[in-house]
Amino acid sequence: MRAPERRPPLATQKELSDFLAQVERRAFKQAVFAVHDDASALDIVQDAMLRLAEKYSDRPAAELPLLFQRILQNAIRDHFRRQKVRGTWTTQLSNLGTGDDGEGDPLDTLEVEEAGTIPESPALRLEQAETMALIEEAVKSLPERQREAFLLRYWEELDVSETAQVMGCSEGSVKTHCSRATHALAKLLRAKGVTL
Amino acid sequence: MNEKDFAAKLKPWLDRSASQVGELQATRLKAARLRALDAYRQPVSVLGLVTVNGGTLENLRQAFLQRALLFLPLVALVAALTVQSLTDEPDLGEIDAQLLTQELPPDAYIDQEFRSWLGKPPG
Repeated sequence: MRAPERRPPLATQKELSDFLAQVERRAFKQAVFAVHDDASALDIVQDAMLRLAEKYSDRPAAELPLLFQRILQNAIRDHFRRQKVRGTWTTQLSNLGTGDDGEGDPLDTLEVEEAGTIPESPALRLEQAETMALIEEAVKSLPERQREAFLLRYWEELDVSETAQVMGCSEGSVKTHCSRATHALAKLLRAKGVTL
Repeated sequence: MNEKDFAAKLKPWLDRSASQVGELQATRLKAARLRALDAYRQPVSVLGLVTVNGGTLENLRQAFLQRALLFLPLVALVAALTVQSLTDEPDLGEIDAQLLTQELPPDAYIDQEFRSWLGKPPG
């Protein structure tokens, strides 16, 4: 006879608090990349946090990241739906272009430097701030689904299956979106002369 | 460089971008977190069988209370009508007394059963 399956312990308020503190800034940036507006992004994150706390306190702590991402992405989609209804949604067209211009794979030529360290000289700090701004602009300019897939997969470090669950699409679509997003980002950053 | 390597190099930049969120935004995010935690309700075990989140149970309780309040006037009306119908029933003792003192109302004589009863021989 099989032993009854033991359910993992439910998330405590402390665990929920720690989790939210850990993800809130990334969630905010994700929302900013999507909606291009700090105030709306804050509202979206607040809404997502509230929904998680109100409706999912009966879930184990391990499930919180996936649940929160689903809620956050839904909140972002809701925001766009509301904007569409109001007729104020302006689509920002990607200036990346997805056609092949015969320059080969941009990932092959992008130079890479170590990132994450804070430079001592003001000049270098300024350079890094400019680089960061360009990266943010590049991420913002990605088509919605590509950006969503890229950030969930490589920033939030969800696996393909989890990303597909959050996005409500197939794993194949996730891979396609991620690949296109990566190539588009690399191409844009190279065009701006950015070295990571 | 492949897709994963590129993404791995981009991640620290995104992390740094998140860590450099403005002070105002950080304060608002913290306030939002505290508000969310305030809304947190401890999960509740129902009859030891299932565990539901406290919020759901509270919502159910509120919904039940709202329904109950909605039906309250109806229940009060039914209760009032019931009490009234009970008090309106004729007092048999009083009728007997009226019968003995010949103070019966005219309605009593319209009642066919009463007339036939009067016509019955005693005993």
